[in-house]
Amino acid sequence: MDAEARLVSRIAAGDMDAASELYDRHAGHVLALARRMLRDQGDAEDVVQDVFSQAWRTASRFEASRGTVIGWLLVMTRTRSIDRLRAKQARPDTRTDIAPDSMPSSSVAAPDQMLSDEQAVRVRQALADLPDVQRKALELAYYEGLTQSEIATRLTEPLGTIKTRVRTALGTLRERLRP
Amino acid sequence: MTMARHDLISVTLGEYVLDDVTPEERREIEQHLRDCAACATELGELCLVMEGLARVPEPVIPPAALKQRVLASIASAPAQGRIGKAAPRGWNVGWLAAAAAVILVLGGSLYVAQGRARQASEELRLADSEIAELTTRLDDFAGQTDLALSILTASDMQRIELAGSAAGARAYWSATRGLLVAADQLPVPPPGRIFQVWLIGDGAPVSAGVLGTPRTGRGMLIAPPPGGIARGPVTVAVTDEPAGGLPAPTGSKHFVGSI
Repeated sequence: MDAEARLVSRIAAGDMDAASELYDRHAGHVLALARRMLRDQGDAEDVVQDVFSQAWRTASRFEASRGTVIGWLLVMTRTRSIDRLRAKQARPDTRTDIAPDSMPSSSVAAPDQMLSDEQAVRVRQALADLPDVQRKALELAYYEGLTQSEIATRLTEPLGTIKTRVRTALGTLRERLRP
Repeated sequence: MTMARHDLISVTLGEYVLDDVTPEERREIEQHLRDCAACATELGELCLVMEGLARVPEPVIPPAALKQRVLASIASAPAQGRIGKAAPRGWNVGWLAAAAAVILVLGGSLYVAQGRARQASEELRLADSEIAELTTRLDDFAGQTDLALSILTASDMQRIELAGSAAGARAYWSATRGLLVAADQLPVPPPGRIFQVWLIGDGAPVSAGVLGTPRTGRGMLIAPPPGGIARGPVTVAVTDEPAGGLPAPTGSKHFVGSI
């Protein structure tokens, strides 16, 4: 078990010092993603509070073999941010009850790889290198939580075009994970 | 597994990781992933891409006060496994205990489901989906409890007594956190109708949502602040409307209160 996973085990046992350390390590990333998605400092800080509260409550369900601690926190960050975006814009939530703190759902074969820092840098660069139309579609899907139908409506493009752009963009990013 | 089915699933994995699939598609994809190593590998890589996208924004230094706020909120909340032992004291909110009891019951069901899964491999899949569903419901309840606590503890929270046909109806309003409405002795709504809650600021009434489970005589709504309500005086009103609710009130007003 690595140091990060041990930290989460201590949180599951109710150790506040561990919660404080987890915050120090990752709050900067959580706040950055929430700000990127919500574009509002106050809302983003509320999400930070929600995410660390949820981590505190659900730490015993974290499985170190399934992904990184930062990945786990950021999945919760995205879910909470989308909840707020949808509540603010009075958009109906058409998502399908994915467990907010696990991805993929625990009934599915687990990815046993971890994202390295180097891969994170490559994904960032690959996103910047995408053709504008592909990057726009993927950003609307990921950072604004829009469904592909909603993206098609927003951009007044056919749904099939949007699906192709998102799929192609994800394929490119997948390729760039490899050295 | 046919190749056609594999190809079909493979192209929807991106939608799956972006959570843009119907429940039926989700079940079908998860079923396929159990049997298809190629798709499971692709899913693993897509999950890494998702994490990579989450880490695209450069980390920022959070304001110092935020850490205090986060740790204070954690300290006041029970962690998993200790739910119920650290119930807030001195609060006259019996429903909180009820919510905690529901969470305990769900937690117990989760435990039973996990035990069953260990017994027989054939039962494993059923138990897995049961666990996933209970986990989701548990998180929903936890989310509602979080929101209720954040409304009740918000510095701008104001209590509003609601006068009308239900005894003990009251609202707790925080412009930053949301609205909590509770009523103890609700009348039964007219057939085919539900109770809908409205917030009225300086403009037209805005729907805050539907008052839950009026058949039991207890109604509750916990909702984030709806858009379009400015800070300042508000009125909370409850009307009966057709099932599903309406964008603007049309039915009889059952209770109302103002700050």
